[in-house]
Amino acid sequence: MASSDSPPPPIASRKVVVHLRATGDAPILKQAKFKIAGTDKFSKVIDFLRRQLHRETLFVYVNSAFSPSPDQLVNDLYDNFGFDGKLVVNYASSMAWG
Amino acid sequence: MGSGKATCDGSLSSSEFLIAANAFAEKWKKFNSGFPEWSWIDSSDRLGFSAHKHNDGYLSLQNVVLQRDLKEKLDDEGSSNDHEEPLDNATLVHSSDGDGYRYDFHVVYSSSYRVPVLYFRAHSSDGQPLSLEEIEKNLPTTSANALIESKWTFITQQEHPYLNRPWYTLHPCGTSEWMKLLFEGDDSTTKRGKEQYLISWFSVAGQVFGLKLPFEMLKSIS
Repeated sequence: MASSDSPPPPIASRKVVVHLRATGDAPILKQAKFKIAGTDKFSKVIDFLRRQLHRETLFVYVNSAFSPSPDQLVNDLYDNFGFDGKLVVNYASSMAWG
Repeated sequence: MGSGKATCDGSLSSSEFLIAANAFAEKWKKFNSGFPEWSWIDSSDRLGFSAHKHNDGYLSLQNVVLQRDLKEKLDDEGSSNDHEEPLDNATLVHSSDGDGYRYDFHVVYSSSYRVPVLYFRAHSSDGQPLSLEEIEKNLPTTSANALIESKWTFITQQEHPYLNRPWYTLHPCGTSEWMKLLFEGDDSTTKRGKEQYLISWFSVAGQVFGLKLPFEMLKSIS
């Protein structure tokens, strides 16, 4: 019944499942999966981790290959690097400094 | 398996650096075509070093205008492949604006840390070199804070090993640590690793300046 020219569901409303995976001796989170609006920036993921872990020295990366810029959109990262309906984000913290 | 891990300690040999530098410059040119290219500055014959140091040199990207819109531009290029004239941000590369700061970036191999090091300097459009304070003020806050305040890197001043003048650098002491992370879990290890090293590396180092790699380039190493 929707008319043919009704707009598709706005991509703005999409939620992305982020799967947080600890590396090295970073603490494992109780809640390793959470949903985030695709229009949010990746910095939100970083902030979430920082709050959960109470650690400043945090290194957050994707696909064991690169570290996304904090102002990249979660939607863009998911579209390019997500699979199985989720975006896997690795995190590590280091004791090496400070 | 074990030996594969051992070679992947996050560092790079000087000959691997050369290969990685070429691969990086090529991919940058291919996927980031609206942007100035990196060039290899050959310094094999620099004074005091000769014969055994073949192919000595560094990567250089000169006269880049960094301003807010730059980030948008790299974003756009990351998600679409069109070669049409960008209407809104054509000024970024051929900038004639008065207040854009111009940056020179050099990627130099450090044989003591066995990692690439980003050297940079900046000047205003009238040619005045910028102080570190002015540079820091001009950095994109989220990216720069995320890295610098989290102590994964920090800015310092060092003598440029090829130019023998003081340049700013991102200090390399943490580099092999986070580069190691970017290779862990990659079971096909070192081949992808070493050749694509600089792409992974730049995804971190470039963040300080809001310089993003196009998704196509990141995908090519994933």
